[in-house]
Amino acid sequence: MRKQTLSLAAVASTAALALSACGGVSTTTGGDDGGEYPSRSVEMYVGADPGGSSDLISRQIATGLTEELGETFSVLNRSGSNGALAAAEVQQAEPDGNVISVQNASLFAITPLAVAEDEVTNIDDFDVVGGVSRDDYVLVTNAENPWKSIDDLKGAGKKITYGTTGVGTGAQLACALTYESGAIDSEAVPFDGGAPALTALLGNQVDTACLQTGEAIENIENGKLTALSVFAPERIEFLPDVPTATEQGLDVEVYQYRFMTTPKGTPQDVKDTIWEAMQATFETEDYQAFNEQNSLTPMEIPGDEVVDALESDKQRYADLVEEYDIDLGDAS
Amino acid sequence: MSDERTTARRAGEGDILAELEAEVAHELEEQRPPAGGPTYQVVAALVTLAVGLVGAVLAQGYGLGSLSRPGPGLWPMVVSVVIVVLSLALLLVGRGLDDSERFSRASVLPLVGVATFIALAFLIPTLGFELPALGLCVVWLRFLGGESWRSTIVVSLGTVAAFYALFLYGLRIPLPHLF
Amino acid sequence: MDAFLDGFSVVTQPGNLLYCLIGVLIGMLIGVLPGLGPAATMAILLPIVVTVDPVAAVIMLAGIYYGAQYGGTITSVLLRLPGEASSVVTVFDGFALAKQGKAGTALGIAAVGSFVGATVSIVALSLTAPIVAGWALDFGPAEYAALALLGVLLIATIGSGHPVKALIAASIGLLLATVGRDSFNNSQRFTFDSLQLADGLDFVVVAMGLFGVGEILYNLEERHGKVHVPAAVANIWPSRKELKQATPAIGRGSLIGFFLGVLPGGGAVMASLAAYATEKRVSKTPERFGRGAIEGVAAPETANNAAATSSFIPLLTLGIPANASMGMLFAALLVLGITPGPQLLEERPDLFWGVVNSMYIGNLLLLVLSLPLVGIFVRILRVRPAILAPITALITILGVYTINNSVFDIFVMIAFGILGYLMKKVGFEPGPMVLAFVLGALLENNVRRALLIFEGDPTGFVTRPISGTILALFLVAAVFPVVQAVRRRRAATTVPDETTQREDVLR
Repeated sequence: MRKQTLSLAAVASTAALALSACGGVSTTTGGDDGGEYPSRSVEMYVGADPGGSSDLISRQIATGLTEELGETFSVLNRSGSNGALAAAEVQQAEPDGNVISVQNASLFAITPLAVAEDEVTNIDDFDVVGGVSRDDYVLVTNAENPWKSIDDLKGAGKKITYGTTGVGTGAQLACALTYESGAIDSEAVPFDGGAPALTALLGNQVDTACLQTGEAIENIENGKLTALSVFAPERIEFLPDVPTATEQGLDVEVYQYRFMTTPKGTPQDVKDTIWEAMQATFETEDYQAFNEQNSLTPMEIPGDEVVDALESDKQRYADLVEEYDIDLGDAS
Repeated sequence: MSDERTTARRAGEGDILAELEAEVAHELEEQRPPAGGPTYQVVAALVTLAVGLVGAVLAQGYGLGSLSRPGPGLWPMVVSVVIVVLSLALLLVGRGLDDSERFSRASVLPLVGVATFIALAFLIPTLGFELPALGLCVVWLRFLGGESWRSTIVVSLGTVAAFYALFLYGLRIPLPHLF
Repeated sequence: MDAFLDGFSVVTQPGNLLYCLIGVLIGMLIGVLPGLGPAATMAILLPIVVTVDPVAAVIMLAGIYYGAQYGGTITSVLLRLPGEASSVVTVFDGFALAKQGKAGTALGIAAVGSFVGATVSIVALSLTAPIVAGWALDFGPAEYAALALLGVLLIATIGSGHPVKALIAASIGLLLATVGRDSFNNSQRFTFDSLQLADGLDFVVVAMGLFGVGEILYNLEERHGKVHVPAAVANIWPSRKELKQATPAIGRGSLIGFFLGVLPGGGAVMASLAAYATEKRVSKTPERFGRGAIEGVAAPETANNAAATSSFIPLLTLGIPANASMGMLFAALLVLGITPGPQLLEERPDLFWGVVNSMYIGNLLLLVLSLPLVGIFVRILRVRPAILAPITALITILGVYTINNSVFDIFVMIAFGILGYLMKKVGFEPGPMVLAFVLGALLENNVRRALLIFEGDPTGFVTRPISGTILALFLVAAVFPVVQAVRRRRAATTVPDETTQREDVLR
C-alpha cells in the first residue's frame, strides 16, 4: 500500500510540475473575443423566482432582445435578498455585455433601509442602460373579509396581519407606511415573493397583503380579492375604481420600476446596441400587449433619468421611514 | 380504535416487520466489515453534542426574540437543543450499537480518493480540467482499483475524451479547459 | 381533462420520449449496480440534466427514480445482492426461486408486478393529485410547518438506521439549512463572515457531497474485486398458475405501495417490507415464504414501484418532498426555475401532466425492456466497479462545478463528501440529513410566519384542524416506536398473555 501511495505521489507531483508551466486556460467553447456584440449567448440574471413580475418582464425583454440581436438571451433566476444576489452576478461579471440584468428600483431605493451598510447594493456599481416599466403596488384583502377601504381596517378591532413579498421590498414599505401612518395595529408576515403571498391571501391565511398589481389583478377582477388602495401618485389605469392612499388621507406613495443594467464600465456601443434593441422591443405589439396584460405602465426613459429617479426616491423613502419610525430591517 | 381485529392484525404485522428487519439486517451482515465498537459510538455522539452546543451558543448570539416576534436565533436554538438532547440520548443508548464500521487499512483508499478530489479542485482553474482529470483516472484505476496499466490508460483516455466531448461540445458548458 | 391529454402530447414529443428512455435505462442500470442509489445518481447527474429543457429534465430524473426500482430486482434475484434498499426483501424468495432454476419466473413476475403496481399508482395519482392541489389554499404556514415536521420525523424513524441517529442527522440537516441570510430580517447566521456562505449552502452541492461523493468514497473502501456468479436465467414468462397465484399479492401490493408512498418520509423501502409482511400474514401457507414463494417476490416488487410513483404526490401538489430522491427532484425543479407546490398544476400544466404521463410511458418501456435486457445487465455486473468509480467521481466534480462555475462549490461538496463517508462509517444515514436540509427553510419560515400570525401563541398550531391533525399524526409517529421498543423489551423479559397486552399498548 505504502509503495503504491508513494509512486502515486510521485506521478502527481511530476504531472503538476510539468503542467504548471502551461497557461492559457479558457472557459468558453467558441471564439467570443472581438467582433460584434453579442457574439455569444447572453445571460440575463433575474433576482426573483419564476412566475413573478420581475421574472416575466425579464423573460419578455429577453425574448425581444433575442429576436432583435440574433443571439440567445437566456434568463437565469438567482432569487434571494430582493435581487442582491442577481445584482452581484452582474457586478462581478466582465463588462462586455454578456451578463446583464433587468433590476428593480426597490433594491436600490428601499432595501438599503432594511439591511446592514455593507450589504447595500449601490446603483453606482452598475451602468444603467434605460428604464423599462413601472409596476404599482396594491393593498388587497380576501373578498370574504368585510373591509372595503383602509378606514375599514382601522375599525377591524383586531391586529391586522399583512403578507409582504419579502423583507426590504416596496410591498413591505407600502404596507408598513400605510399601517403606521394610519395608526392601525398590524403585523408583517414576510413570504418569499409574490406568488406565495398571494396563495396565502387567497387561502385567507393572512388578513391583507401588499402585492404588485400584475400579481393581484386577475383575482381582483374575478372577485376573490378586494383591492383597498393603490400607492401611485394618482389612480392607475388598470384599477380605475381603486382609490390611492393619498386620497384616503395617507401620505404613502410607493412604486416599483425596472430598468436594464450592465456591469460598470461596459462599452458605450454595447449599451447602445442593447438600448436600441430594447426600444425596438418596446414598439412591438407583443410587448405592449404584455404590458397591458400584466398591468405595467411603460417607463421607457434613458438611463440617467432612471438614476435621478432612484436617488430622489431613496431620499424620500428614507425620510418617511424616519418620520414614522419604521424598522424594515426587523421584519416583525 | 374501534375495530379490534385491525388492531390485532396491525400488531401482528408490526411483529413480522420487526422480524423482517432483523432478517434483513442479518442478510446484510455477512457483507459488512467488523463493527467499530463503543468508542466509535461515543465519539460520534460527542461530535454531534459539540455541534449542538456550538449551534446553541451562536444562536444565542443571533438574538432569540420572542414567540410573537421570533428572532433570527430562535429556530437554530430550538434545533441545537434538540441535537444536544438526542446526542445525550445516543450517549446513553448507543454504546451497544453495532452499526458502525471499523477503520482498516483499506480506509486509506478513500483518503487518497479525497486527496485526488482536492487536487482536482485546485488544479481545474489553473490547468483546465483535462490533465487533472486524466491524473485522477490514472490514480483511481491503477492505484485504487488495481487495474492493469493497459486498461488504466485506455479507460482514462476514453473517459477524459468522452467528458471533453460531452461538456464542451454536447452541453456547451463553460468548463475551464486547456486545449 | 384537456390538460391531462395535453400531457400525453408533451410526453410523446420525440425529444421527451428519448429523455424518458434514457432516464429509465440509467435508472435500471444503477438499480442493477449495487452502490449508487437513485438519489445519489440524480444528485450526480443534476447539473448536467438541468441544461436541457425543464420538462425533459424532470421526465428523465423521474425515470431514473422509478427505473431503479425495476433494476434493483435483478441483482436481488440473481445474486442475492439487493441493488436497491427497496428490493431487500425480494432477496428472500427471489434468490430461493433462482436456486430452484426459476430465476426467470421471479424476474418475470417482478416485472409484471412492478408494471401493474406503478400503473395503478399513476392512475390514482392522476385522479387524486388535482384534488390534493385543490386543498392547497387551506394550507397556511401552520399546516406547511406541521407537514414538514412530520416529514422530517417520518424519514428519520422509518429509514433503515437507528432512529436516534437518524433524528440527529435530520436535526443537523435543519441546522445546516439556517446557514446564510435569515429571510425575515436579513441578518447573517453561521456564515463566519464568509461571502460565499452568505447565500447559504446550495442544496445540490450538499446533496452531491453527502450522497454522491460520500458513496463513492465509501465504495472505494469496500467491495472491490468480488466475483459474483449470477444464476442462469431461463424462461422468463411466468406460467398461468404462477400468475394466478401472484395476482392477489400484486393487487394488495399496489394498494399498500400507493398509500405508504404518499406519506412524507414513507416510500419504497417501507412499502416493500409491509407488502411482504402482509402476504406472509394472509397466506395459508406462510412456511413457503423464504423458500421460493412467488407472492414473496410479487408483493414487494409491486409495492415498491407503486410507492415510488405515489411519492410524487406530495411533491407535485404541496411542494413537500417525501423522500431523498424526491428531494433531489425538488432541487432540480428549483434549479430549473420551477417552484414545486400548489401553483404548479395551474401554472405549469404541461410540466405536471407531462411528468405524470411520462410515467405511464416509462413503465411501459420498463416492462418491455427489462425482460430482454436482463442478459445485458447480467453482463454489466461483470464490469469491475474499479472502472466505474473514476467515471462517477469525475461526473460529480465537473458537474458540481458547472452549477455555479464555482470552485468553492467543489470544496463544499468534498467537505460534505467526507462527512457523508464518516457518517456511513459510524452508522448515520445521510438520507435524513439531506431531506431535512431541503425542508429546513420551509419548516423554519413557516413556523415563524405562523407564530407571527398567531401573535406568538403556539396553541394555534394545534387548534387549526388540518395542522392539528397532522401534529396528532406526528405524535403517534413519534411515540409508536418508543412504545414498540418498550413492548419488545417487556416481551423479552416476561411472557404474559401477549395478545391482550399488545392491544392495550396500541390503544
